[in-house]
Amino acid sequence: MNNSKNQRDSDIQKKIDHEIRMRDGACKLLAACSQRDQALEAAKSLQTCSTRIMAYMSELQRMKEAQVMQKVTRRSSDAGPMDDRLPCKGKVAISDLRIPLMWKDTEYFKNKGELHRCAVFCLLQLGGEIFDTDMVIVDRTLTDICFDNTIVFSEASPGFELRVELYSCCSEDDYSAGSTPRKLASKLSSSLGRSAGKKLRAAMEPGPCSPVSNGGAAPLLLPVPSVPGPKYHLLAHTTLSLSHVQDSFRTHDLTISGNEECSYWLPLYGSMCCRLAAQPHCMTQQMMSGCLKVKQCGGDPQTWTKVYAVLKGTSLFCYHRQEDVEANIEPAFTIGINKETRIRASEKDPHSKVQNICISNQYGGEAVTHTLTTDSREDTHSWMEAFWQHFYDMSQWKQCCDDLMKIELPSPRKPAPVTPKQGSLYHEMVIESSDDLSSTVSDILARRMQELELRSQLGTSPTWMSVFEENNAKCAGRTRHCTSRLSGHSPCTPHRLPRSPASPHRCPQLGLLSSDASLTSDSDSHCSTSPCSHHHGWPEPSSNFSLLSSSPSRLRPRTLSLDAKLSTLRGRGYGGGGAFQCPCQPPPSSLLAPLPISSRSPRTQHSTQTTLSCSSSTSSNSSSNSEGSHSPESSEGVPFSRPSPARRSLRNLRARLDPRTWLQSQV
Amino acid sequence: MSFVPGQPVTAVVQRIEIQKLRQGNNLILGFSIGGGIDQDPGQNPFSEDKTDKGIYVTRITSGGPADVAGLMMGDKIMQVNGWDMTMVTHDKARKRLTKKNEDVVRLLVTRKSLEEAVKHSMGGYPRP
Repeated sequence: MNNSKNQRDSDIQKKIDHEIRMRDGACKLLAACSQRDQALEAAKSLQTCSTRIMAYMSELQRMKEAQVMQKVTRRSSDAGPMDDRLPCKGKVAISDLRIPLMWKDTEYFKNKGELHRCAVFCLLQLGGEIFDTDMVIVDRTLTDICFDNTIVFSEASPGFELRVELYSCCSEDDYSAGSTPRKLASKLSSSLGRSAGKKLRAAMEPGPCSPVSNGGAAPLLLPVPSVPGPKYHLLAHTTLSLSHVQDSFRTHDLTISGNEECSYWLPLYGSMCCRLAAQPHCMTQQMMSGCLKVKQCGGDPQTWTKVYAVLKGTSLFCYHRQEDVEANIEPAFTIGINKETRIRASEKDPHSKVQNICISNQYGGEAVTHTLTTDSREDTHSWMEAFWQHFYDMSQWKQCCDDLMKIELPSPRKPAPVTPKQGSLYHEMVIESSDDLSSTVSDILARRMQELELRSQLGTSPTWMSVFEENNAKCAGRTRHCTSRLSGHSPCTPHRLPRSPASPHRCPQLGLLSSDASLTSDSDSHCSTSPCSHHHGWPEPSSNFSLLSSSPSRLRPRTLSLDAKLSTLRGRGYGGGGAFQCPCQPPPSSLLAPLPISSRSPRTQHSTQTTLSCSSSTSSNSSSNSEGSHSPESSEGVPFSRPSPARRSLRNLRARLDPRTWLQSQV
Repeated sequence: MSFVPGQPVTAVVQRIEIQKLRQGNNLILGFSIGGGIDQDPGQNPFSEDKTDKGIYVTRITSGGPADVAGLMMGDKIMQVNGWDMTMVTHDKARKRLTKKNEDVVRLLVTRKSLEEAVKHSMGGYPRP
């Protein structure tokens, strides 16, 4: 007995020493830090440590007093064996604290006046455990103070008192105030500190004779010993107990201390919402287990079934074998043990001389009785004892024993998925679970190369982009038309005219050309005849070159250098676009005739168009020359004509990697 | 179905044998799956335990091979042709079901109604 007491004493002493060290550290930090947030945090930890020290010391005090009292009682009378049952302890968790604020509408909506900010946090105390929540900065843009922490107290008795205190500290005026008030403040605090220090020193002296004034009832605020810096003041408090425990959110009233004049004032609405849940150990732990024989009265065979029974929560689980319990196999059957259950010991069985235990339950209007028997009288007795204890616990914990309340452990449950947004190859690699790693790498590399090139392409010459796109679209369109042309179908031609004015670039040029060559009027006829004429001279190359040269002639007359650039772009797109990759170079003379755009080949305007075609031919030549060099980039031609497959796959990959999705696939 | 990591999982399962249907170049089964260890389990509308990252059947094409074989929406697929499906990524699950050289898939699926049925038949509650 003495040993355990001494053990407890030393435990508490160790805790006190630990807290004192923490407090010293916090003081030093407070003195050293310059930033406001750090100072507030340090002051908060200081507050918590001080409170904890007070609590531990009062605990120590109480224990010493109890020791003394016990000695006294022992001397006076021979106290009989205590027959009081102690209810089982339990876990109490408080979470989702929310304190609504009540700003004046002028303050809140019109944002008038300076922004008054306060730092607040909550101290929660139950028994000897004190926890603090995170600190929250509150100003008039918030409607509630929310604390996201879940605080779990592990050893709470059913008669617990959970004290919730809200501390706040003004988060501004220290800097705005001049130096004089600061000095004053520090002087005041130091003087207070000295007197408080005296109290502390007296309290720390060993011995039961020096009482510590701060018991449990008085506010737990201890004046901070001589440290300048932000100080927290008690703004509101409340006490919660078993009657407030519920599996859902409830509102409780707060007692507010302080008034509007105080610097740390916040307009509280006067209530606090939170979820207070309790898990008594009788619901979560096995209270009793052992081998039994069960018989159901009125059931089919009147034989005893050997089971391994576990008493937990509101049921007696009966497993076939003991191993089933660990293996998490469903029990053979379950007997409910709740407030309506009646358990009694029956008459002694004449054969075995062991008392049976009868458990009666009401299942939907029917009374069902199970009879349990054990091998020895001691077992029966211990089972009865366990049942009585269980009933007592349930009567003490009341509503907590109806159903198991969920308590979420405050461990962070953030999954760590692979984030594709990081963009490094390593992250992309993890996704693919294919066996051939090398192909995976090359796939990803290829994809990334494409993506990079696409991006760089987009970046370099935006102005050329539109041209290129149009060219390509045109080219693509033209290729189609060209093929049809070559094959001899004429109906394609009417498409061209409506298509050509589509681009703003081309209209004027077309106009220009048409003015020169009166294309529009002759287009149809020329179109129809052009294949024939073209066919003679140069079948493929002509179409090729018509395509190639079509673009520059459509555009306004450019300088050669521009043409060169254009041709390179075209060459690239062209290589990708398609069908006509022929790099052959027909003699320049042949180029003159077929004037691209169309086949409106004006035989009449050869002269004017020769100039253009010359330029185009050179460009086409260069393009054809450069085609070889640009072939590696030919793939980029494709992406411009339709959304990039590389992008799409990357997007798919990202969608699959996003941890917030729940993908469905069709099989 | 909640499970303890590291401990074997027990469940009442039903065997379902699906003959794949050839549609052009593809072999289809006629249902959709959701879930996987790389997916967000909280969005699974069929699971009881919202941390269950198993593969669930989310849609069945009526008249399709899966429907004919008796697969139901909301089933959790435990095994496919002997391969485990309780701890796989979504893509892996899809691949296991769509292997081109297999014409038949034999699934082991579990659903709540099965568990209930077995529980009742095992005499959890006394019957009049």
